[in-house]
Amino acid sequence: MTRLALGRLAPLLLCLALPVAASATDYRVLQDQSTLGFAATFQGAPFQGSFAQWHAAIRFDPAHLADARFDVSVDTTSADTGDADRDGALPGADFFNATKYPQAHYVTSDFTRLDDARVIAHGTLTLRDETHPLDLTVTFTPQPGGTALMDVAGTLKRLDYGVGGGEYADTSVIGNDVTVNAHLVLAPK
Amino acid sequence: MLRNDELRWGAVAKFFHWTIALLILGNGVFGLLLDLASSPMQKINWMALHKSIGLTVLALFVLRLLWRLGNRPPREWPAPRWQQWAARAVHGVLYLLVAALPLSGWWFNSVRGYPLQYFKLFNLPGIAAKNPELRRLAHEVHEYLFWFLLLVLVAHVGAALKHHVVDDDDVLRRMWPFARLRHGSKGDSA
Repeated sequence: MTRLALGRLAPLLLCLALPVAASATDYRVLQDQSTLGFAATFQGAPFQGSFAQWHAAIRFDPAHLADARFDVSVDTTSADTGDADRDGALPGADFFNATKYPQAHYVTSDFTRLDDARVIAHGTLTLRDETHPLDLTVTFTPQPGGTALMDVAGTLKRLDYGVGGGEYADTSVIGNDVTVNAHLVLAPK
Repeated sequence: MLRNDELRWGAVAKFFHWTIALLILGNGVFGLLLDLASSPMQKINWMALHKSIGLTVLALFVLRLLWRLGNRPPREWPAPRWQQWAARAVHGVLYLLVAALPLSGWWFNSVRGYPLQYFKLFNLPGIAAKNPELRRLAHEVHEYLFWFLLLVLVAHVGAALKHHVVDDDDVLRRMWPFARLRHGSKGDSA
C-alpha cells in the first residue's frame, strides 16, 4: 500500500518541487530606461534605428537556463532611424510591410552558456511572413536590489526575411547584415 | 609635349581641361535630370553616380591646380588690354566654379545627412553638420552655381570661337587636342 501511495503521490510531489528546482525570475521591463533597436548600413555608412513600441516578456536566471524564456513583440510601424525619408519607407510594402505584418515576434527555444558573463539565446524571429532561427548573445548583470541589466545583440540577414526585396535587394547599397540590439533594465515581477 | 611651352598647352593641361569640361557639363545635366528616375532605388543609384563624378571633378581640379603651379601657362595671346583682363577674370571664375560645384554638392549632401560613397569603394565624411534647415538653401546654391557656370561658359566658349573663326588665330588651337598651330612661325620667331 505504501508503494502504491508513493506512486500516486510522486507526480504531485514533482509538480510542487519544479518551481523550486528551476526558478528563473519573471521580470518586467522598465520601458522608459530600455531600448530595442538595430544597426545596418546604407551606401557604406552605418545607421542606427530604434523601435518605439515593443513588449518583452523576460524570464531569466543564469543559474537556471532550462527555465529561461524570452518572448518579444515589436511594432514594425514604430522604427525611427533619424531620417524622415528612411522612416517613411521602412513600414512600406518593400520593407517591413507593416500594414500586412504589424508585428515582429522573437521567441526563445533554449539557452546555452557561452562564458562566465554571457549566454546564447537560441530562438526564432518571425518578420513579415518569414521565420528563421536567430541566436542572441545575452549579457546579464544583476544590480543591487534585485534589478538587473540585460544587453542583447545578434546579427540577421535582412534578405532572409524579405526586408528590402526587389530593387532594394542590392546589398552593395543596403547591407544584408543587420545587427539587432537591446538594452533592458529589468525589475522582478 | 606633356608640359606647356611658350606657345601651347601641353598634353597634361589639355587632358585636365577637356576631361573636367566633359565631366562637369555631363554631370550638371545629369544632376538636373535626377528627378526623372523611375524609382526611389534608381534615384539612389543615380545620386551615388552623380556624387562620385562630382568628387572626380574635385580631385582632378586639385591635381590640375598643382600641375599648373609647377608648369607655367603659355604666353598670353596678344590682344587689347581689356580683353586680356576679361580673359583672366573669366578663367579665374571658371576655376572657382569648378571647385565650388562639387564642394557645394558635398555641403548639400552633408547638411542633408546622406552618406558619401565614392563609386562604392570608400566613404568620405561630411564637411558640415546635418542641418535640415539648410537643406533647401544648399540645394539651390548647388543648382544655381551650375546655371552660373553655363553663363560664364557662354563668354569662355564665345571668346574661343571668336578667336578661331573671326580672328583665325591659335587661341583655340593651342588648347585643342592633337591640333597643329596654324601660325607656328609667329611664335617660333618670338
